[in-house]
Amino acid sequence: MDRDVVEHALEHAMGYDVEYAEARAHSAVSEQIILRNGALEAYGQSVDSGFNIRVLAEGGLGFSSTNRWTMEEAEAVAETAYRLARASGRRTKLEFSEMESNEADWRVGEKAKIRDVTPESKIALLGGIDKEVASCGVDVPSRMIQCFPAQIEKYFVNSEGSRIASYLPRLACFILITVKEGAKTEQAGRQFGYSGGWEAFDLWNVPEELVHESQVLQRLMRKGKPLKPGKTTLVCGTEVVGIAAHESCGHPMEADRILGREMAQAGRSFIYQGGLYWLGSRIGSDLVTIVDDPRVENSYGFYEYDDEGVKARPRYLYKEGVINEFFHNRETAAMMGIDSNGSARATNYDREAIVRMANTYLLPGDMTEEELLEDVKEGLYMRSFTEWNIDDRRFNQRYVGRESYLIEDGELGSPVSKPTIELTTKSFWSAVDGVTKDLRFDAATCGKSDPMQGIPVYTGGPIIRLREVYMK
Amino acid sequence: MTDLMDRTENLVKKAKALGADEAIAKTSFSRRTQVRFSNNEVDITKVWNDYLTEVTLTWQKRVVATEIRNFAEAEKRVEDLFGLAKVSQPNPFYGGVASGSFSYPESGADKRLAYLEEPTAYVEAAMEAAGEEVPRDLNAGGALFANYEDVYLVSSEGPMGRDARSAIELSIRAFSEKEASGHGVSCSSTLDEFDPVMAGRKAGEIAWLARSPVAGEEGSYEVVFDPLIAGSLLGRIAQMASAFFVMIRFSVFVDKLGQMVAPEYVTLLDNAAPYSVENRLFDDEGVPISEKAIINCGVLKTYLHNTSTAKQFNTETTGNAGLVVPQPWNIEMEPGSMGREEMFAEVNKGLYLTNTWYTRFQNFVTGDFSTIPRDGAFVLEDGEIVGSIKDIRISDNVLRMLKGIKSLTEERQRIHWWESQFPTLSPYMLVEDVRITRPR
Repeated sequence: MDRDVVEHALEHAMGYDVEYAEARAHSAVSEQIILRNGALEAYGQSVDSGFNIRVLAEGGLGFSSTNRWTMEEAEAVAETAYRLARASGRRTKLEFSEMESNEADWRVGEKAKIRDVTPESKIALLGGIDKEVASCGVDVPSRMIQCFPAQIEKYFVNSEGSRIASYLPRLACFILITVKEGAKTEQAGRQFGYSGGWEAFDLWNVPEELVHESQVLQRLMRKGKPLKPGKTTLVCGTEVVGIAAHESCGHPMEADRILGREMAQAGRSFIYQGGLYWLGSRIGSDLVTIVDDPRVENSYGFYEYDDEGVKARPRYLYKEGVINEFFHNRETAAMMGIDSNGSARATNYDREAIVRMANTYLLPGDMTEEELLEDVKEGLYMRSFTEWNIDDRRFNQRYVGRESYLIEDGELGSPVSKPTIELTTKSFWSAVDGVTKDLRFDAATCGKSDPMQGIPVYTGGPIIRLREVYMK
Repeated sequence: MTDLMDRTENLVKKAKALGADEAIAKTSFSRRTQVRFSNNEVDITKVWNDYLTEVTLTWQKRVVATEIRNFAEAEKRVEDLFGLAKVSQPNPFYGGVASGSFSYPESGADKRLAYLEEPTAYVEAAMEAAGEEVPRDLNAGGALFANYEDVYLVSSEGPMGRDARSAIELSIRAFSEKEASGHGVSCSSTLDEFDPVMAGRKAGEIAWLARSPVAGEEGSYEVVFDPLIAGSLLGRIAQMASAFFVMIRFSVFVDKLGQMVAPEYVTLLDNAAPYSVENRLFDDEGVPISEKAIINCGVLKTYLHNTSTAKQFNTETTGNAGLVVPQPWNIEMEPGSMGREEMFAEVNKGLYLTNTWYTRFQNFVTGDFSTIPRDGAFVLEDGEIVGSIKDIRISDNVLRMLKGIKSLTEERQRIHWWESQFPTLSPYMLVEDVRITRPR
């Protein structure tokens, strides 16, 4: 990464009549390792490196990117971004919120450096995972393992004097399994993510997790029974809490959705000014405090400064059941007359930084899992989910259980096949009457923006109990 | 640009000189423009220039690949790649790449899309058309996207070709109220067939019809699927015809070749035709593109293959490489004979759904899934729209729904937008007994 080219692009952009300009470079050394049923389908290695210029001029935004690292190209993209900004012809002029300039050079360490682990070792480790699943005593006829190690270097400069350099190694692993029992099949997908080095595999316990999934699916096909529809007590495991926190708290609290900028793609929000829900509105019980914190150590969504150079900090989204704080970048913050809370993220140099989550989770309470379960006479424990979705206002959602059990007199009973909850955001969070002190995270890839930007995040939380919710 | 072809060929020669069994290199130079808009204004305009060479080589059934963006490093990267192959592992399933010499027609790509002049004018035209249908409080957003790409492909096994690919598409969502919206798209490979006004008009019409929605009711309904929602679902179905998806059992079509999967009047094609935003002359092995029926008269006829997956299924490539994962290019559902109004008149009590998102499967083999309709959703009685509804979900099975197709219109629309990964040419579809649920 040639920082002089980045600086030159910024200088050139500042030579035009601009209100603001920034240059952001992004270089990633990436690998893609794909195993199907233990055989290496393909091993890919690539280096992607480029930079963009974003310019605010005459109240319009222009963006241009390239992967040609020359001074001439830097000038060309700066000129293009300026021309595009001016051509916007906006009646309402865009502004960016105020911020102090920042200078920083942050890095995430690796106990086992990704680049020091040989391809043979990487293949051997993934092959070992496959072998353990294949030989676990359950018929798993289809096993797909994909691993994506990446080393990401960024350099951000803007016309206000910010200079942020960073290095972030990141590991992602996606595994899909199909389990067979007679003529029946069940499937599960698991994702693992980490910011740091190859030591992630020591922490993830992938073989144990996958063998457990295989056994759960087999048991489900052998013994799972459908749930009798009706109102009941629902205990949600951390994976279910995490997806609900992400989908029905994180997304509707993104200010760009609230303001309509994503209206034609990822949609809007049930929260809007003049509507039923706004800052200060109650959306859940007092036990519901949902936080997003990019600084969770080694998290999949980790960053110290966002992609507009704003220092990261935790955001208290729902606080004790009340809508408290939206996610902002500098564009949306200016529209609401406040400061950015450091939520601007981009997946690459050829994508604009937009409002994103990082690591969204429900704050733990003070109960143990045993205490949570002991006064449930009849209920259902949904430990993990399979199908889920939510409307584009983030209000009407559905989760179908993967590993689920009946609860009878505080004890876990027989497995339940595909229990389904379909309810509104307010119904879900208002029904929470118990929260454990556990906290567990799962990795996910959050989809948003056009062109699509799949961004790494954690979802998570403790185990929670919901009373009197309709299930089928 | 012959320089780019020469450079691409040199990389293949380099790989072979190193000892690779097979090598394929593809260089593309793309120029893309996007205008994003919301709240009736342009939010940002973007231009990208991307230079990319992808090299895949094999050595003793080891498959390795790289992407090169800096040509100065290209030869060194190929050397590194061959080194990676030597320490990699063989894939016993690997079945090679296409060999032979092919000829390709001239591309009809529209060079004007390389540097689109006044792109915001198309956005304004779409918004104005939407505004004519929504007399008050219009709020519109969306995206215009234009692409022009030069592609050079060289394979050590014979194929060598040059392609130019172009596309322009506009997607507009219009709101007449906070919960009343409509969506329209226009997609084409050329500027001449691009019609942003049509997209805006459709978005506006549906948005205005969708005013004051009430919560829908659970139940089983006859449903008229607008081409927009039909296109989204057909794209997902066609993707499951990829042989790779079949092999990893993320497909409803596992073990179903030769079986009836839909009524006899349903034919689903893959065809990267010149009109499509995914137009191309050859696939990633250099195999010429051809039209093929995935479902022919209701019968599942073929999976989509590259050479390697085809060998594993004892058949021929269908020209859908992806070197690892075959994929559909452009899905066409053959038209029916019915007019749109005629189809609506068929419905005594049912629904008309115009769009969807968030299609998620419980189990790809069984096809159990749900998806959330968005934008205008309407109650039909005796062929007439009698109400606007919201907060519903299709919770059904994709095979059951395929078999439930009752009729198709003669009219088809080109569909491609943010939610629809694969472009389609879709008619209106009338499907019986579709299961609808809602939150409680």
